Amino acid sequence: MVVVALKTEEEKQQEFLARIEAGEKIEADDWMPEEYRIALIKLISMHGISEIMGALPEKEWVPKAPSLRRKLGIMSKVQDEMGHGQLLLRVAEDLLKPYGKNRGDLMQDLFNEDLKFHNVFHMETNTWADAGLIGWLVDGAAIITQTNMLGASYGPYARALQRICAEEVFHAQHGESIILALAEGTPEQRAMIQESLNGWWESLLMFFGPASSQTTGASKQDVTIKYRIRTKTNEQLRQDFFDKYIPRILSLGLTIPDPTLRYNDEEKRWEYAQPDWNEFKKIIRNEGPRSQARLNLRRTSYEYNAWVRDALSAVIR
Amino acid sequence: MGRETTFYQEFEVFSKRTPTASFQHQFSLLAPNKEMALIMAQENFMRREPVVDIWIVNRKDIRGLEGEEKLILGRLNNKDYRETKGYGYLKKKWRHYEQQMFDEKEILSWAGDKK
Repeated sequence: MVVVALKTEEEKQQEFLARIEAGEKIEADDWMPEEYRIALIKLISMHGISEIMGALPEKEWVPKAPSLRRKLGIMSKVQDEMGHGQLLLRVAEDLLKPYGKNRGDLMQDLFNEDLKFHNVFHMETNTWADAGLIGWLVDGAAIITQTNMLGASYGPYARALQRICAEEVFHAQHGESIILALAEGTPEQRAMIQESLNGWWESLLMFFGPASSQTTGASKQDVTIKYRIRTKTNEQLRQDFFDKYIPRILSLGLTIPDPTLRYNDEEKRWEYAQPDWNEFKKIIRNEGPRSQARLNLRRTSYEYNAWVRDALSAVIR
Repeated sequence: MGRETTFYQEFEVFSKRTPTASFQHQFSLLAPNKEMALIMAQENFMRREPVVDIWIVNRKDIRGLEGEEKLILGRLNNKDYRETKGYGYLKKKWRHYEQQMFDEKEILSWAGDKK
């Protein structure tokens, strides 16, 4: 007689946490608590859709880039971002299987505004310096958050991030190259970067999200830390960003538009003026400066390109 | 959703960087058939790295191990007769005959012309 000892949910949960704590990687077919699956789906589908939504403001700069080399550079970056979206949506889809959902449903969720895209991609880009600053500092901020998850407990996400971060190195250098060319250019060009930094500083602070869930009433940070998807809090990541980027920004002779900014030597952290978190709340409700325009662009291109999906899936009789 | 779930298939992509390298798993993608999968594999995963060959494998053709099946991979720790560490004492013996031990490093260095 074969005795099959069925494990209780409680035992499975304990074993699961023990595996994570031992540094093991969870794979798509492994048993996982629903809370873990849902946290991953929310995080990764938002990350994937944000890569695609982030490519939209960037692609506007392909025709406007000042030289052929710059056009090629930014074009390959846009292609990479779409590629990152592809990788991440694949990871999200495997997690969504028990719910019978796929990437088409995620796209609909975006259109219905149930699925949000990253707050930084709701902002406007006005000049070529903005395009450079995005590559330099927004991608810099993204590298800080993404490298923090390279050791994520979910194997497929960690592997996707490994590929993504390797390409982000090129993105960061692409942005630096644009900014350094402007920084070493005419007084007008230097003024253009300063203006761009003034406009984007708050967005760069908001990029990492509020320090605690009290600001918006909800935050993914606690559950993602509990399950070892990430290790640092929003505030720790923001401080890491300051540590790495403030000296570089200042080295170019730029002024950070926050007169209260200072390094507290005793507490080993930066003191800074909080961005307007009410504005942040509006942005994450899709009421930011370019939220609806970007969503509409995505909606239009999804409809416009429907024939490609139809042609691909046409049954040949 | 019906057509999408039946039409798109999941493919795993493998590639090798050099003629002598082994195939390495890259990632998965969705495509309606192997030919499209091949094109998309190149676009998605091989934009920069050198690549000399690509394999596309439909996920439904892969037999993997699930959950507790992985327990069959456990090994008993009593098989040193299969490994060089079970023969480490030979080093001392050969020294007695004033000879060097032919270890893995030494034997694998015999490839190519005699120096």
